Formats: sequence, structure tokens, C-alpha cells
Amino acid sequence: MGTNSGATAGINNKPVGGAGGAGVLGGGGVGGANSSIGGVLSNSLGGGGSGGLSISGLNAGGQNANVGGLIGGVGGMGNVGGDDGGNGMVGGGPNNQQATTPQYTIPGILHFIQHEWSRFELERSQWDVDRAELQARIAMLLGERKCLESLKSDLTRRIKMLEYALRQERAKFYRLKYGTDPPQLNEFKPSNEDAGLAGEVATDSEVPYSSVSNTTWRQGRQMLRQYLAEIGYTDNIIDVRSNRVRSILGLNNNAEHDGSGGGLGSGLGSGTGGENLSPNINGNESNKRASETEGRHTPAKKVQQSIDEIIVDTEAAVMANFEFLGATEMSDDDEISDDLEMVATDNDDTDVKLAKRAKSGKDMLTEEVDGSLGLGELAQLTVNNDSDGAYDANSKDGTGASAGGAGYRKTWNAKYTLRSHFDGVRSLIFHPEEPVLITASEDHTLKLWNLQKTVQAKKSASLDVEPLYTFRAHTGPVLCLGMSSSGETCYSGGLDGNIECWQLPSPNIDPYDCYDPNVHSGTLEGHTDAVWGLTTMQSNIVSCSADGTVKLWSPYNKEPLLRTYTASEAEGAPSSVDFVRNEVDHIVVAYNSAHCIVYDTETGKQVVRLEAAQEMSGNTGKFINKVVSHPTLPITITAHEDRHIRFWDNTSGTLVHSMVAHLEPVTSLAVDAHGLYLLSGSHDCSIRLWNLDNKTCVQEITAHRKKFDESIFDVAFHATKPYIASAGADGLAKVFV
Amino acid sequence: MKMADGSTILRRNRPGTKSKDFCRWPDEPLEEMDSTLAVQQYIQQLIKRDPSNVELILTMPEAQDEGVWKYEHLRQFCMELNGLAVRLQKECSPSTCTQMTATDQWIFLCAAHKTPKECPAIDYTRHTLDGAACLLNSNKYFPSSVSHRVSIKESSVTKLGSVCRRVYRIFSHAYFHHRRIFDEFEAETYLCHRFTHFVTKYNLMSKENLIVPINVGENAAPGESEA
Repeated sequence: MGTNSGATAGINNKPVGGAGGAGVLGGGGVGGANSSIGGVLSNSLGGGGSGGLSISGLNAGGQNANVGGLIGGVGGMGNVGGDDGGNGMVGGGPNNQQATTPQYTIPGILHFIQHEWSRFELERSQWDVDRAELQARIAMLLGERKCLESLKSDLTRRIKMLEYALRQERAKFYRLKYGTDPPQLNEFKPSNEDAGLAGEVATDSEVPYSSVSNTTWRQGRQMLRQYLAEIGYTDNIIDVRSNRVRSILGLNNNAEHDGSGGGLGSGLGSGTGGENLSPNINGNESNKRASETEGRHTPAKKVQQSIDEIIVDTEAAVMANFEFLGATEMSDDDEISDDLEMVATDNDDTDVKLAKRAKSGKDMLTEEVDGSLGLGELAQLTVNNDSDGAYDANSKDGTGASAGGAGYRKTWNAKYTLRSHFDGVRSLIFHPEEPVLITASEDHTLKLWNLQKTVQAKKSASLDVEPLYTFRAHTGPVLCLGMSSSGETCYSGGLDGNIECWQLPSPNIDPYDCYDPNVHSGTLEGHTDAVWGLTTMQSNIVSCSADGTVKLWSPYNKEPLLRTYTASEAEGAPSSVDFVRNEVDHIVVAYNSAHCIVYDTETGKQVVRLEAAQEMSGNTGKFINKVVSHPTLPITITAHEDRHIRFWDNTSGTLVHSMVAHLEPVTSLAVDAHGLYLLSGSHDCSIRLWNLDNKTCVQEITAHRKKFDESIFDVAFHATKPYIASAGADGLAKVFV
Repeated sequence: MKMADGSTILRRNRPGTKSKDFCRWPDEPLEEMDSTLAVQQYIQQLIKRDPSNVELILTMPEAQDEGVWKYEHLRQFCMELNGLAVRLQKECSPSTCTQMTATDQWIFLCAAHKTPKECPAIDYTRHTLDGAACLLNSNKYFPSSVSHRVSIKESSVTKLGSVCRRVYRIFSHAYFHHRRIFDEFEAETYLCHRFTHFVTKYNLMSKENLIVPINVGENAAPGESEA
């Protein structure tokens, strides 16, 4: 187990290092952006000076953190520019001295001038960048402010509505209880009465509002809570929600510390609206604080209006909760939920959006005001902030790289269907660069496909691709494929025991061109039975066959066969083979015995055996269908007949991880070029995508039908383009994007 | 799938299977095949058991849609014809066989091009097989059969005849120009024999077009699907 954890740690380590570095850099950038913006922020706040001001300031602070990542890069560039500028200065220094001495020369002067000029250019462009950045931010902040204002007015409207309903309700109740109209139907006060306190209130009715307001107010709050509880929102949910609200606003608190504190202070000091709203934000769910502020206000202002405003003030906190509940759970407000959905899907595009905002800040403003999309905008903020938070947390954990992947969690969808084979497609392989792939089938042929040459299929979103070229040489089913790293040559192994070498025709060839015998550039003869596994490394290929041997070839040598590796009889026939990617001259071979053996290709000696006694006890059904080597780590991954995928440490030969991956035997594996994701195919008709970091299934796609008891034969990643593909017994290959 | 004794037979060719064991599993009765590819499985199973028993291979099971039966057989023919094409590639070159001919009576034009072309025999062979593969797998012409294999439109069934006529010319060219290859291939697969039997039985080609002398010997209805 010791080695076990060591190896897993090994997996983690690499991405961690890179991410950590990136994190630090980004952090620096953010810091810079934040502080520089602090000033601007307070300026704009000072200029505005209306009710919603402090809110917008706060939220803008939140947005700071949001944009930080985006701007971090730019900031970094700016810094580099600055350094260059500095160098320019230094370079100019000696020249300057020369200029004072009589020995200056024309080239020297020109050089100096050039230096100066380039320095100024650099600084100027840096300023331009800064300016554009700040302008973008101003536009954005203005947008935020607008949207928050409209949010505020919307909330106020809602509260008024609820109050009205409450008053009506109260009046009805009163009427039912006493049979008369309530004495002060039009006044505000009865609305704050509790039923149990009715009598008391009746006596108190002449007392000035100010003295009562404190208690009645608290009761009103209680009432509202009860209301919420009645409709099914327990305090728990309310608390969760309010926490969420706080977490949004919590960012603002941080921002306040960062540098917009001045702005906030002024906001507090100025208009009444600001006064009322700011405490609301800082402690929306803490009743204590709210009532404190209330206590501070009420004696001072005895006007009806002030009560009204206080109600707006504290109620807004609860209402905000209510609002979010409505948006996400009750979905009573279509507009909000729609926006939420939109936001959810557009989440990845945050950066783009921000950029867009920078460009068309004004348009955005008008849009927001016109459509009164205030709430939707807020909802967006929430989601964005949440995702940002998650991202931050992840990068702190040190899985920044994978978090980046998760942050833009891609869903793969079937896009191309490759139909032209008459029988099961046993293998497929992508061209290393072009959107081109080759399939090998039990119908004795290989076919070349260009994904850019498609035919729109009838009544379906997927595209049909027609093959460009059919490779014919095998006299039986073709079982495996390999391709040279240049993408010029392809190799195929067949049931007939031959390995055929092919020069790939141009991906733009006419499918009905003349036959060119040179496409078939040679046959590697040596195996005496079916060739089941084939893989390439630089100019060499290694193949494994049912004749019990593994052979290393250099296809274009005079003597192509370099070496043969034969295991003991007990191991049985090899089923799959791969080069160990992080160790030159090593190959890993899977045998019928369910053992894997790593060979040194030079010496032909066994280096290590991958086996785990307890795990493999009784290796019936543990048969390995496919073995692949991790592209960067000393890890070997095997696909087993017993539905497992197992991970092995190449250095110690121990089992690192074992998991049930499918409902039926796992037949095929592929690791993406960066070593982050694993793709597996199975006879259960599905392919699954796994995150190699935490070994969780990211996506499952049902891809092929069964023929007899077989379904999926092969899966593949494109090395440089976002394509994955599967090949099935139903004669189809599918490409997912 | 379950045997009488309860053990399960899994019909799989696992990696490492020897070529003599490839697809060597107990036959599965058609009615127990629940796959959408049941007819293909059934036909391949019969061929595997005895390729010379043409009569049995072509005997359509009861309750089988005839269109699908013909379609599946034609797919199988085109697939197996790849074997003949591989052999022809070695011998039949554009320099020796500049035109697709069988007897001197006809020169066949290759229909794979926008305007039919006088392709050399090997190109004709390849283009015809490639074209047939595209057509028979086309979602457009065989929409339901490609995906479900349960029924076939009447309009699509007529396509089968023209595919038959074209691929038959590969047999006839091989017979008249590459007799050794033809005989070797025929001895192994009985493919031309089966094909002749097939098109005669289902009336897909007229009898006078069947110029390779194979004794079919019965019920050949006089030809109509000419052109």
C-alpha cells in the first residue's frame, strides 16, 4: 500500500506543480489589478452618489475578484513591458554619458533615440492597455450598479405587494374576529400586529409609532418567517440560502478591505438610501444587527415613511432569501429561471462575456434597464461567483490543471457516424494532426475518413462521413492498427498473421481515383497466427500475436524484424501490447494469464511483472483485453474481462488502483495526450470517460449495438484536436466532439 | 444464450484468439438472437459452418422479411468479394486489363463517376465495391435497414438489383481473364456459386447476364431486371 499511495501521489504531483505556479502568477496579477482599481472605484462612486451606490460598490468589489484572473495575464504582460522599459533606460544610460562626453557618434545617438522611442512606445502601449482595462471596468461597474438599482426597485415593489396582501389578510382576520372593519385599515401599524397581541395593540393604538415600532417590527419579522415556514421553507433552507447570499456579498466585504473601503465609507455617510441598504448587505441574515440599526433609526425619524424604509431595509434581507428560493426552486418567476438556465450554459463564456461587456458596456446598460433584467443579472452573478469560488478552492488544493478542465466540463456528443464497413470495426486510429482517421474491420478492409468531408444525414443532427480510401490487402479480418508519429504511415495487423504497411493517401483524395499500388508499401511477415496488438514508437512498431510471440519491427529496414520476445508457456498468448511511454526501450505486454510483463527491448529481459497476488487469485475471468501505458507517468492501465480497469506502478509492479468500470468486460482503453483523461469501451455498448486524477467517471455514452456478445472494440483520442471515437461490432465508427 | 446445463456461452473473439478459433463457437439458433444484427449473424454462422452448402445458406427462415434477407446477403457478398479484389490487385493491373471486360461482347463503364467512365478493370472492381459499400450502408437509401435491419423500403429493394449486376462483373472478369485466381477463390469460398444461386432465386439478374458457367440447374425465372 505504501507504493500504492506513493504512485497516486506521483500522479497528483505533476499537475500540482504546474498549477501552483500558475496560481501564484495569477495571484500577483489579481493583486495589482485590484489595487489599481480601488482608486477608480471610489472615484466613480463619488461621482454617482445615489441610493444604490454602496451596493454597487460592494458588488463591484466582488466582480474584482472575478475579473482578476482574466486581467492577471494582461497585468503580467504589462509588467514585462515595464521591465523592458527599464532595460531601455539602463541601455540609454551609458549612451547618455557618452552624449555628454565629446565622443558621441551619430550611430550612438540614433541608438539612444531608438531606445528612448521604443521605451516610450512600450510605456504608451502599456498605458493604453491599462486604460482600456480600467474603462472596461468602469463600464462594467456602471452596469452592475444599474442592475442592482433595478433589483432594488424590484424588491421594493415585491415587498409593497406582500405588505398589501398582508394588510388585506389582517383586515379580513379582524373582520372575522370582531365583525367590524379594522380601525386603521389604511394605516401601516395594524399590519405589524400579531394575532395574539391584538388586544394589546388595541390599547396601544394611540401611542406614537416610534415607541411601538421596535417590538411590532420584530413581530412582523417573526410573522414573515412563519409565512415562509408555512410555504415549506424551513429555517434551514433559509439559512442555507442566506449563507449563499452572504457568500456573494462576502466577497464584497473582502473587496471592502482591499481598497474600495473608502467608497463604502462615503456611501454610508451620504444618502439615506445608502444608509438603509448597507447594513442590509453586510449582515442580511443576522437579525440582531438589523434590529440594532433599526433601533438607531427609529427614534430619530418618526415619520411613517421612515418605518416604511426600515421595512424595506430589513425585510429585504429575508426577501432576498425568498427571491433566491423563488428563482431556483419554486421557479415561479419564469424570467429568473430562464436566465439561470442561460447562465448555467453560458458559464464557460464568462471571460468572453466580460470582454464583450468591455466593448459594448453602454449597450449592456440599456439592455439591462430596458428588459429590467436586474434579477437575472444578479442570478448570473451568483453562479459566476460560485463557480469562481469552486475554481479557487480547487487551485488551492493544487489540482488547478484538472480544475481548469472541470471548470469547462465538456460534454461529448456524437457528431460523425462512419458507416461503410460490412462487419465489425475492430480498431481505429486518428491521424496525429489532421481530422482524419483510419478504421480496420472484420470485412478485411481498412478505410480512410476525413471528418471535413461530410454528408448531412437525413433527419438527424449527426453527420455521415463517406470513406475516402479503402485499403485492401488482408485476407481476413483486420484486428489492430498503428500509425507513425508523422501520420504518413499506417500499419495494420490481421487474423491472417500479416502486418501490412500503408502510405496514407492525401486526405483530399478523390474516393474514386485510380488504384495506386504504392499505397500498400509492404508486408511484415513473421507471425504465424493472428496479430492482435500493434503499437508504434518513433520508427519502430511492436506487435503481439496469437502465436505466443511479441515482435519488434523497424518496418523500412532491410531486415525489418528486430527482435522476438517469448514468454513462458504458462503465460499463454499475448493479448495486447504497448510501449512504456516514459521509459525508452520498454514495452509492456499483457498475457492470457492476466499478467503483464515489462520487457527491455534491447536486452529482451523481463524488467518487472505486474501482478497482485490477492487481487488476481484465481485469474479466471481476469483476462486482459487491452493494456495501455500512461503517456507521462510510470503507470500501466489494463482493461479486464471481469469489468475492471486496473492501474499498475511500473517500477514496483504493484497494483495501484482497481475499479469496476463497466457492466460487461472492458475491451478498450485510450489515454489523452496530456494524460488527464481515460477513455474506456466495453461490451456493455457504452464508452466512458474517466478523470484520471480522481478516477471518477465524467461521462458515459451508449455508442454501439451488439453483434453476438460483442459491442465496442476500440476507442481513441485525437492527439491534438478535440475528437474522441469509438468502433463497434455493429460495423460503425463514431466520432464525438 | 443459456445452455441447458446453465453455463453461459459468450460468443466473443477475445484478443489473443488463434485464427482457427476465430468465431468458433456453438451455433446460436436464429430465434434466440436478440441482436439487431441477427440476420447477419445467422448468415455468417451458416457460411462458417459449411460454405459449400449454398442451398442451406440461401434458405430463408420463416417469418423473415425477404427484403432484409436479400439485403443482408448482398452485404455479405460484397464483403467477401473484397477477398477476390485483394487477389486481383496482385495480378490485374491497368496495363494488362485496360478495360473492364468479360467476353469481348461488352465493355463495362464504371458507374462510380458522375459520367460513367471506362475505368481499367482493377479500378472498376475497387470503385464498384466501394460504391456498393457506401450505397448499402447509406442512411439515405437504406435508412431503416442500416440501423434496425428489420424492414426495407420497396424502392430500396430495386437498388439491390443494380448492385448485383455490377458486382457480378467482377466474377466474370476474374473468370475470363484471371482464371487461376478465380478458381482458387471459388474453391475456398463457393462465392460465385452462391451468388449465381442467389440472384437466380430472388430474380435479381436476368439469366443471360449470368455468363460464368455454373450449373445452377433449377427454377431460374426468365430475366426481367435488365438495364
